[in-house]
Amino acid sequence: MKKRIAAAILLALILGATLVVWLSPYNYAFQDRDAIMAPSTPQHWTGTDELGRDRTVRVAAALLIGLTGATAAAVITITIAASFGLLAAYSPSPVAAILMFLSDVFLSLPWLFLLMMARSLLPLTASPLQTAVTTFLVLAAFGWPACARAIYRGAAEFRSAEWMIQGHACGLKTRQLVRLHIVPHLRPLLLPQFLICVPAFIVAEANLGALGLGVGEPMPSWGAMLLELENSALLARSQWVYLPIALLVVVLLILESFTTEIDY
Amino acid sequence: MRPQMIILSRVGRTLLLMLFAAAGTILLVRFAPGYFTDYREMDTRYSQAAQSEIQAEAVQQQSAGVIAMRMVKSWLRGDLGISRQYGVPVAELIGARLRVSALLLVRGILCGWLLAICTALPISGMRKGGILWGLPFTLLLAIPTAAMATACILAEVGGPVLVLSLIVAAREFKFLRNLLESTWRSPHLLQGRAQGLSPRALVTMHILPNVAPQLRALATLSIVTALGALVPIEVIFTVPGVGQLAWSAVMNRDLPVLVTVSLLMASVVGFAGMLSTRAVTLEEA
Repeated sequence: MKKRIAAAILLALILGATLVVWLSPYNYAFQDRDAIMAPSTPQHWTGTDELGRDRTVRVAAALLIGLTGATAAAVITITIAASFGLLAAYSPSPVAAILMFLSDVFLSLPWLFLLMMARSLLPLTASPLQTAVTTFLVLAAFGWPACARAIYRGAAEFRSAEWMIQGHACGLKTRQLVRLHIVPHLRPLLLPQFLICVPAFIVAEANLGALGLGVGEPMPSWGAMLLELENSALLARSQWVYLPIALLVVVLLILESFTTEIDY
Repeated sequence: MRPQMIILSRVGRTLLLMLFAAAGTILLVRFAPGYFTDYREMDTRYSQAAQSEIQAEAVQQQSAGVIAMRMVKSWLRGDLGISRQYGVPVAELIGARLRVSALLLVRGILCGWLLAICTALPISGMRKGGILWGLPFTLLLAIPTAAMATACILAEVGGPVLVLSLIVAAREFKFLRNLLESTWRSPHLLQGRAQGLSPRALVTMHILPNVAPQLRALATLSIVTALGALVPIEVIFTVPGVGQLAWSAVMNRDLPVLVTVSLLMASVVGFAGMLSTRAVTLEEA
């Protein structure tokens, strides 16, 4: 029941954000030079930023970009993790040891530091869209090791399962076994990993953005919008500056609620 | 396996992990676009021949093997290389900042654990309302480190230690509560409660010794969590620590500093993990 309510709120937020972006007369990059750092007005419901950009549209666009990017990155991460975990689980033990050691190498560095390093070493002259894609690709590229470990453990347990032995006895090839039996059995493990990845990626993007390494301007993102909080002149003029962080916390709480029953 | 062999294999594995982390950092920087751009190539005063020589020199220095050799030599010399942005030995830079970060980490982790354990213990024993009491920690989990640090600055409340403690506490509370809840429900605890043992006796004599191995493993995770949070916290609060240095090295593509910080972080995570798993393995042995 709780999850249904959370899903309904999230859906409502996504629909609302889509409508705002679609129906608003302003683009997220449009600068209203007559309304710089404006408070709430009939034209700009939640005011504007220091460049005169409409905050409502920017927050709505940030929500959509963040959720889409994090979801896509989570799908890629889970695909890499599942392939890696399955490969390790059904390879000879020396190969499995090497593969798991490789995942340990990634896990030996704190995630944010690794992301920061990888993101900053990518091209400096890139379009906002390219930076957005790059940021979420970096998240996907470095998010898989922990998931791969969990999938490896789960898949390794199946090696001695009765249905596995039966499958082998029936002459099924490894590829068929993986497609028909192992992947469906791994679904209860893959879904929670996916649900954990989405909020984790949103938080990571926000942290990267706050360090100046996230999605490039003028494209709106949670991280870039957090930087607004450092502008004391803006804070003194309007309370709507807190809208992005408030909405981010609501979205993350909703996403976290999907994972409450999951054993980490 | 003999305990000595277990220790030896763990140390070997940790050292190998460090080596791979350093090699990975070198490769990542080596292939970063524009890393080896030389400003002299834009200077028109240099003749065509001089430009070609500069380019040839750059190509020679671009080999990952050459970079690795240079790094190893600087490690053997003990100066850990010369920082590209500051022009001083990395050992000097790191040495001054290590104490600041270590102190922040120790204080943050200790306060975080104290907060998490002091809250999780009574909440895990509750029959009703546990979820409600745990809500602040759920809320804290949903706030990015950077936002929490900025909020602290805006409200002029607390500082880096408070933010780090809250992050560690929020992360560990969930695990601790689940762990303690399952321990409270174990048969020997029920027996103890039925016999009228005081909550203090139950906690000190039965619960804590029972969950000690899991707590050690959790402590390792806390170090990783705290290390991850160190960069945004130090950058936002302008704490002159290793996290801030790492961020500045990343922004300026300062390879010697990056490799040293990577090695440092990998060694802390590796040895912390080694200590927790070694303790469990030795107990089992």
